[in-house]
Amino acid sequence: MIEVRDLVYEYPNKRALDGVSLTVAPQSITALVGPNGAGKTTLLRCLAALEPPYAGSVTIDGLDTRESPRQIHERLGYLPDFYGLYDELSVRRVLTYAAWSHGLAPALAGAAVEKAASRVGLADRLDSKAGELSRGLRQRLAIGQAIVHEPKVVLLDEPAAGLDPQARRDLSSLLLQLRDAGMTLVVSSHILAELEDYCSTMIIVDDGRVVGGKPIKVRDDERPRYMLELATARSDLRQFLVAAGIDVIETGDHHALFTFTRNPSARAKLIRDLVKAGFDVSSFAETTRALEETYFAQVKAS
Amino acid sequence: MNPEFRRNVWLELTPRRLMTMTAVLVLAFFAAAVSGNEWLPLSAATTLFYFIVVFWGARNAALSVVGEIRERTWDFQRLSALGAGEMTWGKLFGATIFNWYGGAICLVVILGYRIAHDGAIAGLISLVYFVVIGLIAQSVALLSSLIAAMRRQRHTQLEVFSYQVLGIVAAFLAYSVWKIADPAGAIGVRLKAAADTIPWWGQDLNARAFLLTSLAVFAGWTLVGCYRAMRLELKMLNGPFVWLSFLIFMGIYVAGFDAWLPKSDAISVRDAVALRLALAGTTFAIITYIMVLLEPKDRVLYRWMGAELAQGHLGRIAWAMQGWMMSCKAAFIIGIALIVWLVHEDAAPAAAFVGAALGFLLRDVGIFVLLQALPGPRRGDFAAVVTLFALYVLAPAIANGFGASQSLVIFYPQLTTPVWTSPAVAWAEALIIVVLTVSRIAGSVRRPSAAAAV
Repeated sequence: MIEVRDLVYEYPNKRALDGVSLTVAPQSITALVGPNGAGKTTLLRCLAALEPPYAGSVTIDGLDTRESPRQIHERLGYLPDFYGLYDELSVRRVLTYAAWSHGLAPALAGAAVEKAASRVGLADRLDSKAGELSRGLRQRLAIGQAIVHEPKVVLLDEPAAGLDPQARRDLSSLLLQLRDAGMTLVVSSHILAELEDYCSTMIIVDDGRVVGGKPIKVRDDERPRYMLELATARSDLRQFLVAAGIDVIETGDHHALFTFTRNPSARAKLIRDLVKAGFDVSSFAETTRALEETYFAQVKAS
Repeated sequence: MNPEFRRNVWLELTPRRLMTMTAVLVLAFFAAAVSGNEWLPLSAATTLFYFIVVFWGARNAALSVVGEIRERTWDFQRLSALGAGEMTWGKLFGATIFNWYGGAICLVVILGYRIAHDGAIAGLISLVYFVVIGLIAQSVALLSSLIAAMRRQRHTQLEVFSYQVLGIVAAFLAYSVWKIADPAGAIGVRLKAAADTIPWWGQDLNARAFLLTSLAVFAGWTLVGCYRAMRLELKMLNGPFVWLSFLIFMGIYVAGFDAWLPKSDAISVRDAVALRLALAGTTFAIITYIMVLLEPKDRVLYRWMGAELAQGHLGRIAWAMQGWMMSCKAAFIIGIALIVWLVHEDAAPAAAFVGAALGFLLRDVGIFVLLQALPGPRRGDFAAVVTLFALYVLAPAIANGFGASQSLVIFYPQLTTPVWTSPAVAWAEALIIVVLTVSRIAGSVRRPSAAAAV
């Protein structure tokens, strides 16, 4: 859905992106991570056809950003890190304007507005003025603006900034819903924990380049990562797991990190086999720290 | 309906505002009518039109883009699917719809008077004039704010005021030009007396028709300018053809006024061809100065053009050329044509003078670009204007004060003996500035450290 080839972007005194290449698969959620000033926002703006490449190319849904920026904008939803809303308009009018300005026919706009408002949890506030909403609700409205026209690609720059824990959880489930509805999402953040719940792929940007040279798969819904912990140290843990045909990522005497099927029967069998082999299993759970571990592993390796 | 226009209507035309505007204007006209002066309602309507549509409307037009940037909604608009034309007219007429509502009430009074006292034709002319002058003020203000948006300026209240003032100045110029043909006498640009005819390309044309058409055409070009600036903001490529058309129009339009020039032997321009070429070339040079001042001196673009040039991609460069570059080229083409003509007419000193003028034009443009490319706070344009003021006014005044009038040749074009001295000095200066500018632009980028490479 998104193809970036040898992208170079320059500011007057600095090359902000230097030979970035990446591919984002359709119907996926990709995390764009890196330290402040790494080039994440610049990359997102290039993807959004808001900044023309100095060299290289960016294609979205087969369209080149330099040649067809407006056609791309029609297919795109973008939430900038610092966004504004039309405070004097009602939520309904803000969303209606967003729908119309993205080419939605007036006859379809009403239903699209209702759907977007419902998705972001603002269905009961359609007649409130945008300026009267709380920060969290404004963030939802801004996301609603970005998705009201059912874009193929959604780019979100720091979408969870300033949200409370409940709102962050709601955001996670909304993004998963959007992916399941067929959208391709790229989410930029420097807070890895907030990306953990929904991202399947990670792109690390540092000093204008993609660390590792390509996106990294951090989550496989069919084969998630599991952390096994032992109460008693066993040096043969790795050997046992490899012999059982398991893809081991990392082991120690007290623990192992590996990918394994989500199938409950298979997991139950593995635990039985471990116990039968005398391993003192104290914990066996799907790990939720894959993104952060992968990030630091990649940064360290580079 | 255009979504941008509709959004503006939602914001601008609230019932309360409409009622207030109507009530205030009706009261004002009623007060003027009961004063006993038959013409006072017309004066009041005219003054209120200028205030509501020109003064206030220019501000709203400027804010239609600047307000979005300030409120951080501009990126959202740039990411919409609206075309540049839709966005331009949606903003230009949407943001000023309330002003046009008030202006329309004033126009009813104005046209009523004109038709009643001078007939339907006079009424129609008044209608065109008032609509055009409002359009010029608002579109110039919008264009100024769009240019400022491209320059990524900060958009303080003072800057918004300056865009508004530019719109008002444009309207005042239009007003002054129109007054040339006004039987009531000229105001502002005084031309002996109200003119019945205007000589243009050897023809005596009806002044009212000519000036009104000119104003309408310039209003049209301003709208085209807004549209093209909007295209750039929406990341669409403009290409060279519309700007070239504008240059050709301006060259032809201004060259037609040769009969207005005082006849002088100062630089041995002796015939209409030379005068017309000189007028067209000067027009292109002035447009070059205006555009190089206004347009962003984008080092990244210039580096990119250099790289494309090195690869022989001339077509891609042509599509990315800025207005000042094309205007400068046009000035050079006309300048060279004029030199050839003057040499053919045995006017070598005048030809050398024109050659020197072209060299100084290149030097001055180079100064604008070079000063913008220097490190430090971005005050390049201001520094360039100060530098040119020093070169054209202060330094020559000092040189004259010390009786060193020979040295004026290093500041601006002079008639010299031998004739090649002035062009040689001008082109030497231009060459130095161009070399400095190119080396500065080519070497000003900092690349990411190799450590981050993978």
